[in-house]
Amino acid sequence: MADVAGRAGILTQVRLVAGLRWRMLRNGLRKESRRLDLIGLIFAGIFSAFLVVGLSFGFFFGTYKFLSLGRSGWLSLFFWGIFVFWQFFPMFAAGFGAGFEFRTLLRFPLNLSSFYIISLAYGLADFSALACICWLVSMTFGATAAKPAVLPAMLLVVTLFVLLNVTLERLVGSWLERLLSRRRTRELFFALFILSMVSLNLIEPVTRRYGAILRPLGQRLLPYLSWLPPSLAGKAIASAAQVHFGGVLLACAGLLVYSAVFSGFLWMRYAKQYRGEELSETAAPTPIAARTVSKVDEAPDHLSALSPQVAAVLRKEFRYLTRNSFAFFTLIFPPIMVLIFSEMFAGRRTPSQHPVSPEMLFPGIMAYLVLILMAPAYNCFAFEGRGIQAYFMAPLRFREIFLGKNLLLLSVLAVEMGLSLAMLSWRLGLPSPPIFVATLTAIVFAVVGQLSLANWSSLNFPRKLEFGQMRGQRQSGMAVLIAFAAQFLFGGICAVILFAGRLTENRWFPAEAFTLLALAAVGGYFASLDALSRVAEKKKETLIEALCR
Amino acid sequence: MQEIAIHTKKLSRKFGNLNAVDGIDLQVSAGQFFGFLGPNGAGKSTTIKMLTGLLAPTSGTMDLLGLDLGAHPVEVKRQIGVVPEGMGLLERLTGLEYLQFVGRMYGLDRATTQRRAAELLDFMQLADRPKTLIADYSHGMQKKLALAAAVIHGPRILFLDEPFEGVDALAAGALKALLGRMIERGTTIFLTSHVLEIVERLCSHVAIIHKGRLVAQGSLEELRAGISGAAGGKTTLEEIFLSIVGQDGAERPRLEELSWLM
Repeated sequence: MADVAGRAGILTQVRLVAGLRWRMLRNGLRKESRRLDLIGLIFAGIFSAFLVVGLSFGFFFGTYKFLSLGRSGWLSLFFWGIFVFWQFFPMFAAGFGAGFEFRTLLRFPLNLSSFYIISLAYGLADFSALACICWLVSMTFGATAAKPAVLPAMLLVVTLFVLLNVTLERLVGSWLERLLSRRRTRELFFALFILSMVSLNLIEPVTRRYGAILRPLGQRLLPYLSWLPPSLAGKAIASAAQVHFGGVLLACAGLLVYSAVFSGFLWMRYAKQYRGEELSETAAPTPIAARTVSKVDEAPDHLSALSPQVAAVLRKEFRYLTRNSFAFFTLIFPPIMVLIFSEMFAGRRTPSQHPVSPEMLFPGIMAYLVLILMAPAYNCFAFEGRGIQAYFMAPLRFREIFLGKNLLLLSVLAVEMGLSLAMLSWRLGLPSPPIFVATLTAIVFAVVGQLSLANWSSLNFPRKLEFGQMRGQRQSGMAVLIAFAAQFLFGGICAVILFAGRLTENRWFPAEAFTLLALAAVGGYFASLDALSRVAEKKKETLIEALCR
Repeated sequence: MQEIAIHTKKLSRKFGNLNAVDGIDLQVSAGQFFGFLGPNGAGKSTTIKMLTGLLAPTSGTMDLLGLDLGAHPVEVKRQIGVVPEGMGLLERLTGLEYLQFVGRMYGLDRATTQRRAAELLDFMQLADRPKTLIADYSHGMQKKLALAAAVIHGPRILFLDEPFEGVDALAAGALKALLGRMIERGTTIFLTSHVLEIVERLCSHVAIIHKGRLVAQGSLEELRAGISGAAGGKTTLEEIFLSIVGQDGAERPRLEELSWLM
């Protein structure tokens, strides 16, 4: 009969989980290729230490001042700051740090209450929690230094506030863990996150235009915030400073109710996990009532002009684009940014004192679009994953793959530029014909010229990217460098030619020069395809190894 | 004289100082169901990758259906089908879209591709989830789809790297039936598997690779005779395999060291 292990104590388990966190961090850094991460982490560590220590002093002196000056009501602001940091920082950190699914601990012999306590301890060992506890302790010292009589109330409030925050953070974390375990939700969440980050650009124009309407609305909403936990914590300390014990008890009771409600929800969440919640997203086998027979699509082939292989790659690329929610959503942004730029820098309806003429803005905006939309081409196999093997198993040369991929990119560029052109002509009007033609031919030159370089970069510096993931999503440094150098080179050539046109006062010179360059770029592109096919054959092992990880 | 489907001469592949495959001479006749066996890390997948053009050999030659793979890669690939290690699926397509993609990549016309893709999905019982992405398929479903993709163009040689791994008994039965039919119509199948019972049941010929070297090759009867002489008529493939590969007693785990588990 085999030995059976004894029961591990809860403290031992908490210690083991803390040790696990530390080892995950340390082992993540031990890999040679992550040396830069280590340097980054050291810098981040120094920065974090300054942040925590510096703000601790800030909280100490702020609390001391507020209480000394009789403005104890303002302490709510400090509690709000801490609350927001505690709840939001872990969400951002989770996207970039080492991954650990807390529910995996359930395979060990834990009862539900142990699992719950370990979860709270795990939450307290988080950077944001430790930083917030430091700040709360600083506030306690500051309050005691200003008014020693508030110490008991401060201790009570801080204890409740810590309990409430750690419980809420774990509750939100466990729900996020559940939601993000599904691929579709994960991708949607990622796209929304990026969209919200990009949307920050809109704050300035929106507040400028609608600030007068939004301000009174915000002021009307402010009183409702006083019933939320940070305001209650502030109220409790303010009441203690005014020796109003009824107010202290009422506010603390409010905090206690919040803690109890969050704890109840967290307990229910963990109980569900403990009973064996199914988070898998793979297709489960289902009984088939009647055997399904596939229907053959008899619609006409819209890509019949292309070779079967190029058409297949083009279709596949289009499907990948529409299913990559982040890439698809980012296509909405260039026209929106064009609208914002035209609003900010030029136009008949702008209040700007020095509007930029369409003669300058049109080439500038088009250059911006090329810059943004060409970037993914430098690592065009990023999302193939193990599917890259399909290209090497198929009886074809790699030129067909590049043609299919490049064709889709050109179609996307054409659509984006068409939309932006329509937007610009609506807001500003079109530039003069020489500039218009010069810009269009310059686009052909810059885009087609870059395609050969981008294809070469994709073969030589591939880096796998996952759909809808933030963690570990980094392009190859060399690919980024090549993209930057190529954009700089082509942008520079275009700028010099446009400038030469102005200098010589020959308005059609840039258009003529760009037409010649565009023809050369197109010729060079087709000539490069066979050479790139040979490079692909030589580099196939590098590609497969990099993308099949 | 029987046509030779696969013929390698001194085929080698080095990774740094490691000889993953060390000068192997393989000969597989057309229409054979050929099992390629070896312990973990012996060089099975490396050999398949070289034979299917996914990996370049360091030295040696490979002829498939009489064509040198190095000199005529496109012509050779047109006639072979592969289920590679990791399956090589494009996970953001649905099963039907993937089969249509592969069919077109092999140069089939659109109508043929669509008809065959639909038939294969029906046969593999994958047709009831037309909108499910491959990323959301179970492992077994992905395996079935990879096999469907490997046969859509009617290959003359089929390379299968662990085709039954993670496939349930029902699906495995259907796959075996399909492979049996392909053998009947003259397809050569080159298969690696760790499940020796499957290899013994399906394959007529076997080769064993160990530490990059080919240590045995022939029909099952020839291998049995080579190991035990006339008395070994009932020797199983597992016993043959262990006698060839596991001769070194030091490689065997010693159970007595785990006495606390008994």
